[in-house]
Amino acid sequence: MTAPEAAERRAVISGVGQSAIGRRLDRSGLQLTLDAILAAIADAGLDLDDVDGLAMFPGGGAANLPGYANGDIYEVQDALRLRTTWRQGQVEGMSLPFYGPAMAVATGQARHVVVYRTVKEGSASRAAGGRPAYGSTKPVAEGPLAWLLPVGMLSPVVQVAPYATRYMHDFGVTREQLAWIPVVQRAHAGRNPDAVYRDPLTVDDYLAARMISTPMCLYDCDVPVDGATAIVVSAAATASDLRAPVRIEAMAGVIDGRPSWDQWEDMDRVGHATAAAMWSRTDLRAGDVDVAQLYDGFTIEVVWWLEALGFCGTGEAGEFVAGGSRIGTGGEVPLNTWGGQLSGGRLHAAFGHTAEAVRQLRGEAGARQVTGAEVAVVTNVGGYEAGAALLTRL
Amino acid sequence: MTIGIPPAVTEETAPFWAAAGEGRLLVEHCTKCGADGFPPRGICRACRCRETSWAEVAGPGTVYSYTVNHQRWLPDLEVPYAVVLVEFAGHPGVRVPGRLRGCAPDEAAVGMAVEVGFEPGPGGFAVPSFVAVR
Repeated sequence: MTAPEAAERRAVISGVGQSAIGRRLDRSGLQLTLDAILAAIADAGLDLDDVDGLAMFPGGGAANLPGYANGDIYEVQDALRLRTTWRQGQVEGMSLPFYGPAMAVATGQARHVVVYRTVKEGSASRAAGGRPAYGSTKPVAEGPLAWLLPVGMLSPVVQVAPYATRYMHDFGVTREQLAWIPVVQRAHAGRNPDAVYRDPLTVDDYLAARMISTPMCLYDCDVPVDGATAIVVSAAATASDLRAPVRIEAMAGVIDGRPSWDQWEDMDRVGHATAAAMWSRTDLRAGDVDVAQLYDGFTIEVVWWLEALGFCGTGEAGEFVAGGSRIGTGGEVPLNTWGGQLSGGRLHAAFGHTAEAVRQLRGEAGARQVTGAEVAVVTNVGGYEAGAALLTRL
Repeated sequence: MTIGIPPAVTEETAPFWAAAGEGRLLVEHCTKCGADGFPPRGICRACRCRETSWAEVAGPGTVYSYTVNHQRWLPDLEVPYAVVLVEFAGHPGVRVPGRLRGCAPDEAAVGMAVEVGFEPGPGGFAVPSFVAVR
């Protein structure tokens, strides 16, 4: 069966740019953002005057206005028991950050859209004396967190850890196996001058690290940083104006389980519906992928995507990653070649992953370049937020 | 010392927290199709009927999954502690997060049986605190 001509092919990613990235940078969010946007536009081969669309991710400001935003989209979706293939409105509600911009240029609303994401979680966590709990800055826990923060599930680590517990229990997967994900990504980070942690990490280091929330240790958690990433999404028709655009071959974001960390029905299978929807929009297959930038807020999220995308079967990721050779830059599925969020820094929402995919497809990834990379997959989160996209060399 | 952050109480959740203070675990119950649901949404997730009431869940329940938290997320948080996600054989569609008592945190296990219980939580609320069945 031939995949339908997907509308996303009317869009390309034309530029990516980043500010400095560090554990603590003495720069304002605005200056970091400007650095990233200007770099992305130059990278696209465009001028600022070419840009006619702008998106901040996530939408900011409204959350601080009392009474301004009500009707939590997760609760509404859960209450109505809706399966969605497109969604917008929550903090992360665009599946992958370039989806909204891609639709804008595909439908002729704009020609060149900049979408950016700026984090200062490195500075914020240092100021708080450690990584702060999600709700610790609010007096009460609202929405889905009202069931989690009161009983001590105070951080995304604690909320996601039960997925790893259940998965490892059901399939007999071990920490010794999963250690290879952060270990290999650290080796990749060693070849990325912009990664925040570049010193080698061993399986023994991993097993000796302090536990955060079982079975997840320090190295299973991404690293809060300061930094900005901007992505330029352009109409494919402008390709001749662009320095080195990358095609969006297919993109999807299906939420077919309860949109909640704690209520997701089958914690052994996350991201599968999104991956299936993405594959339905292309004739390419998992075996065609040359490089995989899989969201890694936590190690277990990489497991979800390796299995959902079909690089290995459900329950097989432990065996697949053990030893590290399959996920190294010379392996079957070169994984998070910039170090991922685990070592490169938590740029969040797959902004870092997207930037790296674009660089790999252009052959601009320096010492970590995967030879001849023509097809890249990028994913975001999994579960109650899920996006997967296939990018290809133009 | 605290174990967490108090819940915001809403139209949908007030009866749950009131019953929790009496040591009873209430879940939403559809008056039309009889399905149970949690968290309460003011609508039945099975048949989408808006006429809902409450059913008391007695237990025992089964641990779907768990984690033992070691990180001090709040200044006065005592660690480590186990949190569990509990399901109930007679109440499909219900899974309740809570603390685990009655065993050491590292004795928590997938599939273990627990009784319904509560303990004093933040803001004067009683929060689910399941008790390991010995």
